Amino acid sequence: MTYGSDAPAGWMAAASRRLAGGAGAVLAYLWSGWGAVASLLLFCALWEWGGQYYGPLILPGPLATFQRLGDLLASGLAAPELWISARRTLTGLGAAVLAGSVLGMLAGRSLTAALVSRPLVTLLLGMPPIAWLVLAMLWFGMGDATPVFTVAVACFPIVFAGAMQGARTLDGQLTDVARVYRLSWWTTLLDVHLPHVVSYLLPAWITALGISWKVVVMAELLAASDGAGAALAVSRAQLDMAGSMGWIVAVLGLLLGIEYLLLEPLKRTIERWRAADAS
Amino acid sequence: MTALAIRRLGHRYGLTSVLSGVDLDLRAGETLALVGPSGCGKSTLLHVVAGLLEPSEGRVRSTFRGIGCVFQQPRLMPWKHAVDNIALGMKALRVPAAARRRRALDWAARMGLSAEDGRKYPHELSGGMQSRVALGRALAVAPELLLLDEPFAALDVGLKLELYAVLREQVERGGSAVLMITHDLMEAVRLADRIAVMASGPGRVLHEFAVERPRAARDEAWIHRTTADLMGMPPVRECFGLVPVPEAGT
Repeated sequence: MTYGSDAPAGWMAAASRRLAGGAGAVLAYLWSGWGAVASLLLFCALWEWGGQYYGPLILPGPLATFQRLGDLLASGLAAPELWISARRTLTGLGAAVLAGSVLGMLAGRSLTAALVSRPLVTLLLGMPPIAWLVLAMLWFGMGDATPVFTVAVACFPIVFAGAMQGARTLDGQLTDVARVYRLSWWTTLLDVHLPHVVSYLLPAWITALGISWKVVVMAELLAASDGAGAALAVSRAQLDMAGSMGWIVAVLGLLLGIEYLLLEPLKRTIERWRAADAS
Repeated sequence: MTALAIRRLGHRYGLTSVLSGVDLDLRAGETLALVGPSGCGKSTLLHVVAGLLEPSEGRVRSTFRGIGCVFQQPRLMPWKHAVDNIALGMKALRVPAAARRRRALDWAARMGLSAEDGRKYPHELSGGMQSRVALGRALAVAPELLLLDEPFAALDVGLKLELYAVLREQVERGGSAVLMITHDLMEAVRLADRIAVMASGPGRVLHEFAVERPRAARDEAWIHRTTADLMGMPPVRECFGLVPVPEAGT
């Protein structure tokens, strides 16, 4: 029996096996979405019941909401606002993720830094985002910088805490293996340290993503003249309940999309090495 | 020409003295087995030789260039397949990726792992398979000094005999020196050129035996007999806390 044959046929067989495996995994993942879809539809059913009970002025039902949202999208009013909000969210989130991950990992390597940063992280986590928004409005005015800053500063402590925890819990035994085999610092970082830290980072990033959308809508509602939050404020002022619900649904849809089409598959791919029961 | 010289080695963890006054020599190509009770500092000694610990006192001088080490736990990277784990040690040797993979697959086969097992993550492998992967990782770098900390403890007899053969072949072909820790006296008699018996509290070498017969000539009957003889000798019984064997004729 030969292993590791270097004939071209062996390479192609391996590649096609990988492709088939990948396609199968995607289909399996999408199929597993039936459970999530069922749960969401159940929620919609409750919503419809509530809408019929309270009447369209107080709680428009899902059908009216989706119809209104469809109109907004078709008329070309919704897409630019959503794009603006998405841009601000992702900018702020990106800054928080970058700074939080790097600084958190560095802090995790030093006991002093870890001790010093714990109360500061608690402070930052406890600060309500709306307080940050008030400060940002005073510092940056009504432009782009206000929502972006608020998102960044609200998400930073979550990512920082996750990265720090990941770096602090590095397995000394595996580091010993790297030292005995004289692996370069680069190989040690990539093959021994990073995969462990990433398993702490990914959940932190997912949490931060959820928070970033909440904060950006709040920031735009109060301090911006464009974006989904501002549109929400306008539709509220016009007592357009269906429109308000429509904007909310649009933002939630974007959030669900990014989380389940981007981050969740990323997490599952990277976390394949974990035991099957830990998800 | 001595390649590893340990002189008056001592180590303390806090106030507890774990090793004291250890003298050992290991020549190139030689296999030395360390036998002793649990907690006598054998693993600490191995860690010092591997360069992971700075000893509190004494000197370790080693001219061995490549080191392979198998720890008591397999210590595999949980996020890598078995084959990638075996290939890991070769990264430091600047072996290109394709050659690394080829050699790793080769060693996986020699360790008795199927192609399917090679693609599994460590959590999907049994303890015995994980030990084999760890051993493959150490052997794949063709080290001049091989450090083994009870590597065969988790394996059944049949597998042990297979891997003894693999180890012997690697040692004879590659000329590796081996420093192995084992609880199993028979394993030491089977594989080693010299056996050092250690006592605990603090760890020190009580006695050294040379195993005269060449490895190829050691048959099962001889191994069993010699093990039984060794088990009767006073230093061995003393280090394991056993009652001395009464003198014949009394």
